[in-house]
Amino acid sequence: MKLPTFKYIEPKSIRRACHVLEEHGDEGQAIAGGTDLMMAWKNRLKVPEIVVDLASIPHLNHIRYSDKDGLRVGALVTLRRLASNPVVKEKYPALTQAALAVGTPQLQAMGTIGGNLCQDSLCAYYNRSPSSRQMLEPCHKMEGTVCHAVAGSKICWGTYCGDIAPTLLVLQARVTIAKGEGKEVFPLSQLYSADGKRPTSLKPGAIVTEIHVPSPAPRSGAIYLKFRLRRTIDYPLLGVATRLTMDSAGTICEDAAVALTAVERTPLLIKEAANARGKKLTDTVVEALAEAAYKQAHPLHNICGVTPEYRKEMVKVYVMSAITQTVQTVTQAGGAA
Amino acid sequence: MKRVITLTINGETHELLVKTNETLLDVLRDYLGLVGTKKGCDAGACGACTVIIDGEPVLSCMTLAIRCQNRNIMTIEGLAQNGELHPLQKSAIEHNAVQCGFCTPGWLLSAKVLLDNNPTPTREDVRSSIAGNLCRCTGYQSIEESILAVAEGKVK
Repeated sequence: MKLPTFKYIEPKSIRRACHVLEEHGDEGQAIAGGTDLMMAWKNRLKVPEIVVDLASIPHLNHIRYSDKDGLRVGALVTLRRLASNPVVKEKYPALTQAALAVGTPQLQAMGTIGGNLCQDSLCAYYNRSPSSRQMLEPCHKMEGTVCHAVAGSKICWGTYCGDIAPTLLVLQARVTIAKGEGKEVFPLSQLYSADGKRPTSLKPGAIVTEIHVPSPAPRSGAIYLKFRLRRTIDYPLLGVATRLTMDSAGTICEDAAVALTAVERTPLLIKEAANARGKKLTDTVVEALAEAAYKQAHPLHNICGVTPEYRKEMVKVYVMSAITQTVQTVTQAGGAA
Repeated sequence: MKRVITLTINGETHELLVKTNETLLDVLRDYLGLVGTKKGCDAGACGACTVIIDGEPVLSCMTLAIRCQNRNIMTIEGLAQNGELHPLQKSAIEHNAVQCGFCTPGWLLSAKVLLDNNPTPTREDVRSSIAGNLCRCTGYQSIEESILAVAEGKVK
């Protein structure tokens, strides 16, 4: 499969990259690892006029940690490097799990944390070769007027399937976004638009440069569980991340967070997790949380593998399992944490 | 749009005039005749096009050739040294880990990255390392055995 023709530039600064991207609007495309872009290009889903290589920019490759500040990861750090970093392994094992759950070892070695967060949404009616798209009327994501996933829908229902976002959401990550001359820091949830057509809220010329994760609270733990048919390669059919902080006796939940991926147009942070605060994690409490997640999940048949009904049922199973496993990791760490 | 680039492949330097939109896989195969690197799915899923860049396993079908300047690329042609097969290659032959041969260059290089970073892998480590290399002859068992045999020093 040949790639479309494009101009290629290697800016030496973030400012220059932002400028070129802003100038070219939708015709410009920033490239980090490139793993999410190459197939879109090969299939002519995206045809950039100019490609701006972020790998040529210095200072986007750091992994820094301090107990006071937490973790700072440059957007161009590859998932493989992130997963194998000793501090990440020790302090944020859920992040290592999520990075190792992405694609294959090769895709982890190429794909970056920033690129993964900005991954485009997926839809079986959109992610197709040009020839197999011919038989379908152009959908919203193709600048058409129909949706093949939800008949009659006036909006695009492309599903957000990133593996890293749910974990970073429960870890309360913030992202630094450079634009023009300046940069701003936002909670990660604000990176997402909930628009299937364009899942991030980044405007042309805006670039994610750094991810900041606060240091883990004492007696806390997190986990990422991924449901897919094969243990490798596949995107998630469902991904669940949870984080819990327990009291010193290990019985009362002091803080809880749950996030889902692959079941909506955006990664979902389940706000009802706050209801578990100050409570014992009894079956009733955990089931109520799982039920809240279940209600907000909206899987469609635009992701191949198993039926949307099955995936929705699995939300409950995975949330409950993730909470149980997170409690175990916290209590196993014991008083040491 | 073309550009002159310098690629270091298996220790040799090549100066090439390539298009900005060409993949490393096409440059390896079509410009340099290094056809040991296979074009399987050409979509980033099968691992047949795996090469090693700066010690990492990389899919050459998903890599722009122009992004590979000043980087150290190893293809399957660079695995044997001075005419002698690499232990992983010898072991693959001994364990009948090659059937149709299409996935072989890819998993050999994935296995090399594994052993370079972890000389004493468990079976699970071996499985994880080749999780991005599909074998449709379903020869995974013998592939695993052949890699483990090298790690255990049974094939040198």
